[in-house]
Amino acid sequence: MGNKQTIFTPEQLDAYQDCTFFTRKEILRLFYRYRDLAPQLVPLDYTDKPAVTLPYELIAGMPELKDNPFRQRIAEVFSEDGDGNLTLDDFLDMFSVLSEMAPRDLKAYYAFKIYDFNNDDYICKSDLEKTVNKLTRNELTPEEVRLACEKVIYEADADNDGKLSLEDFQQMIIRAPDFL
Amino acid sequence: TCISHGFYAEEKLLESLASMSTSERIKAIQKMPETMKKKREIRNKVLKEITKKSRRHSNQLPCCTQCLHGTAVSFRRFGNSLSEYFHLLQLWHETLKIIGAEFGTSVLSYFIFLKWLLTFNIFSFLINFSFITIPQFVAAESNNLSFTGLELFTGAGYFQQTVLYYGFYTNATISKIKNGPSYNMQLAYIFTIGIYFVICFLILVFSIAKSFCRNFVNPQTYSGKASKLLCAWDFNIINEKAVKLKQKNLSTQIKEDLTEVNKEVLNFSIKERVVRIVIHLLSWVASLGIAVAACAGVYFLSINNLKLFVKGHKNDLESQAAMLVLPIVASLLNAFIPFFYSWLGHLEKFQTPGHLIYVTITRNIILKISVVGILCYYWLNIVATSELQCWETLVGQDIYRLVLVDFIFCLLGSFFGEFLRRIIGTTVCVRLGLPEFDIGRNALDSIYAQTLTWIGILFSPLLPGIQMISFSIVFYVKKVSLMMNCQPPRKVWRTAQMTTSFMFLLFFPSFLGVLSVFGVTVWRLKPSEECGPFRGLSSMYAAVSEWVKILENYTASKWVVWIYHNLITSELFFFILSTLVLIITYLYWQIIEGRKTITKLLHKQIVN
Repeated sequence: MGNKQTIFTPEQLDAYQDCTFFTRKEILRLFYRYRDLAPQLVPLDYTDKPAVTLPYELIAGMPELKDNPFRQRIAEVFSEDGDGNLTLDDFLDMFSVLSEMAPRDLKAYYAFKIYDFNNDDYICKSDLEKTVNKLTRNELTPEEVRLACEKVIYEADADNDGKLSLEDFQQMIIRAPDFL
Repeated sequence: TCISHGFYAEEKLLESLASMSTSERIKAIQKMPETMKKKREIRNKVLKEITKKSRRHSNQLPCCTQCLHGTAVSFRRFGNSLSEYFHLLQLWHETLKIIGAEFGTSVLSYFIFLKWLLTFNIFSFLINFSFITIPQFVAAESNNLSFTGLELFTGAGYFQQTVLYYGFYTNATISKIKNGPSYNMQLAYIFTIGIYFVICFLILVFSIAKSFCRNFVNPQTYSGKASKLLCAWDFNIINEKAVKLKQKNLSTQIKEDLTEVNKEVLNFSIKERVVRIVIHLLSWVASLGIAVAACAGVYFLSINNLKLFVKGHKNDLESQAAMLVLPIVASLLNAFIPFFYSWLGHLEKFQTPGHLIYVTITRNIILKISVVGILCYYWLNIVATSELQCWETLVGQDIYRLVLVDFIFCLLGSFFGEFLRRIIGTTVCVRLGLPEFDIGRNALDSIYAQTLTWIGILFSPLLPGIQMISFSIVFYVKKVSLMMNCQPPRKVWRTAQMTTSFMFLLFFPSFLGVLSVFGVTVWRLKPSEECGPFRGLSSMYAAVSEWVKILENYTASKWVVWIYHNLITSELFFFILSTLVLIITYLYWQIIEGRKTITKLLHKQIVN
């Protein structure tokens, strides 16, 4: 065990442990994964909090995200400026929420933001259509996509405003035990 | 005003966080849906608040509390590092992750269930070995029989005089030193196994309650199709082929759902409905008939076995091999009748595929339970009351053979069902394609194996150790077979409800059945006169009642006697307990109904 690592100060590690669901070892392992994406950009010494951002293309190449149809939205939701470029903080945050230790309502909150393509805090029809297309790899005809989205809004919209708010989405998640 | 409102909200948040205990605070911060930067800021501010508060207080309180606080912090750090090492003990964590990544969560749930069953066996083996077997080694008699290789299959011969079976255990009070501390083998045997079953009972009840709470309590007032769409993405999958397959499945499902909307509900005419009901009735009669026939076959075979055994004690190859016929026949029936049931299920036209799956699983369960049931009847009513020397050891040997043959058939099933099927599906008959991993069938097989092990614990205390090895080998073989031969499941299984159903099936027919067998054996059956820890007593339970009688003579242990007479053996106590449980259940049910009504009312209010 020991405090042999020199990447973070003990206070930084404590702060990471308190803010994510990871243990010290996992945080260090994730740091090395982050660094392996671009060893020349990421310094080995984070004690002075360098402002290093990895571009989206490197993140999207990670084996965990490479085949996920929502990888771009995931990176955009967790990045500071919304364009998919992640700092180490964002990186740790993303994996913390995606890990199995995160509670469902936290995941539901972020899932809502991922499916909200135009970032207006509502999942409207066009957001849903883009979601369905990504889920089915553009295999459905536009007519089928439209019908499916209408059904979803009809079933889940509790306040009848034609789009899903965060509360509607969370209500639906509570009733679906298979949500991961 | 917007900024000040936000500021005020933050102040309140900081205050509430500062007033929580440390672990609660950490959990609350982890759960906050904010960016890491914001969370770190909040955390630092809260810590500053706390140190300010404690500094104010420390001027008033003595330094003891500061020391306590310091020790609490170091304890927490120690606990954190311990939990890191505990993580290493997680069996097969990486393997499970890989399975989940390539095949999705539904297949993963089977392997997690298998691992959970394995922990039951490990626990049982550890306590049986420490409390029953190790003391027995101290007072062991010598073993005069010779060891031939066939014993590994039949469990008889050399193994009869080893710690594997009930018959070998002594009924004496073991003490190494004269007048030193003694170890009562009878009490140890019955209490170890009894307490193990009580702990299993509690673990099962709590797991089912937790699982049920999470997955069933909020009933889906929606038809569930919308949630299927938005919650259908399994973020565990990272394999490209699996991702493509999942997308194809989702699109097929959506297409099916949409066509259902356009199709009207088919109204069958009376004649068609009657025909359908008659077909269903006939298939149920057929499946139950097959199950009864299988049971009768097993019963007559076992009676035959007993006759052969009683007639001649020849230890030659023929009679030993004859003992294996019963387990092989039982396993063959368990392996092939389910195919007949699925064929039958395809003949009847069910309205939804879900119906088909549930009906087939129910029929399989009925078959397996009846086979186990008839075997228990045979053991408890016929073997126990026959004139055999040491009937418990015989029952133990029967169960050992059943477990072993079941294990071999499981491996063979994997080989034929998946490996050969893949070869056929890719070379000879390409239309078939790769096989899918049959989750329901495998889970039922594991539950059956675990039921046999639980029944056998009383007669063969080290059987969980054997089952432990067997489950581990099955895990690896199934994993390798899965990776090499199978494709991810095409049908969308409702994973969370499936896991609950497996646990429920494990508990209701399986565990409660085992408890009743255990109860009958301990209370009603007469142990054999010449072997085992309970020889000469009228029942196994008599050991406990005699012990309590002895305790009555000591004043120091009067409370134990009081508890025994007034709580454990009194019917009034159990009556009161059952009434309380029923009342609490009824209250909870009413609370849930009340909440449902309130939810409906609120929903109406939001819409209007």
